[in-house]
Amino acid sequence: MAKTILIIEDDNFLQGLEATKLKKEGYNILTAANSIEAFKAIEGKEVIDLILLDLLLPDVDGFAILEKIRQNKSFQTTPVIVFSNLSEEKDIARATKLGISEFMIKSNFTLDEISKKIKELIG
Amino acid sequence: METDKQADIKTLQEENEKLIKRQSIKADLMSVGAHQIRTSLSAIKWIIKMFIDGDLGKLTAEQENLMRKAYEDNDRAIGIVTELLQANKIDDVIEKKYSFSEVNIIELIESSIFDFSGEAFAHKVEIIFLKPEMKLPTINADKDKFPIVLQNLFENAIKYSNQYGKVFIALREKDGFVEVSVKDMGIGISEKGKKNIFEKFYRDTTAKEKESAGSGIGLFTAKKIIEDHGGKIWFESGKGEGTTFFFTIPIYKGSE
Repeated sequence: MAKTILIIEDDNFLQGLEATKLKKEGYNILTAANSIEAFKAIEGKEVIDLILLDLLLPDVDGFAILEKIRQNKSFQTTPVIVFSNLSEEKDIARATKLGISEFMIKSNFTLDEISKKIKELIG
Repeated sequence: METDKQADIKTLQEENEKLIKRQSIKADLMSVGAHQIRTSLSAIKWIIKMFIDGDLGKLTAEQENLMRKAYEDNDRAIGIVTELLQANKIDDVIEKKYSFSEVNIIELIESSIFDFSGEAFAHKVEIIFLKPEMKLPTINADKDKFPIVLQNLFENAIKYSNQYGKVFIALREKDGFVEVSVKDMGIGISEKGKKNIFEKFYRDTTAKEKESAGSGIGLFTAKKIIEDHGGKIWFESGKGEGTTFFFTIPIYKGSE
């Protein structure tokens, strides 16, 4: 059965590129462009195997979403890859403290590399 | 007379506060702008890579060549924006706004290594932390500014390493200081570069050949921060033989 990835990304264009690439790799994709959509997906019925999270979102920041994800019993061990253009030490340290699998800076990686990292984490 | 002087001082203080505020707004604007530019450049990077990989159909040799050139140019632009973001933070350092406290240097190094694991992976470079067996004392450092030194040294070591190179990080206690070394097996520093490597905006010819993007503020900033902490920074290097940067940082002796 295909694994499901939730992409939380407010930039429609980037979200589309990420979704297209990961669908091609055989993953089932859910998308959210803000916190409301993200929480709706997390509280929904679908099993989510990995979350790809942007930190700069229009309503709340990605850290707040990450905190909520970890508070939810079903998501305490779900791999989360932060995929953002924030790259300051304090941002990375804060995300790391909240329990992420990887912090990847968008401009430093290609979609292929993201896809490889996802494969390493969930197959 | 005295009243005039007091009024002058008050006016100057007000003007100074206004300037600081303006500077802070400018820095924030630059940061937001740079992040937005980096997002657009990321999208361009991904799309060009999709073309190069043939995800959008097979390219002719000429098309592929041009796409590779565009990919490299875009990466250079990303590098410049990243440097601009760093340069934006340098004012804080120059103005010497430090807040010293007790810091666990091992934890800090481990956290910085984690932050650079992606970068190292992308450059096919392995980071090896030679953690001391004996317990090391904590250091007296600014929690926000001191990591900039590690970031700059780790980033350079990775960036200027050859593929499949190794970066070794070691540390020891010596005469009231903790001494840290960051050794790479990369391109090294030229003889001319050795004299100027810590100068603001200076970039060695070997560095420019390997990575055309770069502002030349990383090592200048690192030296400034280390010296403001009461430590020293130096290096050993030969062209093509790799470089080892060393720095010392004072041990924490309790709050004063």
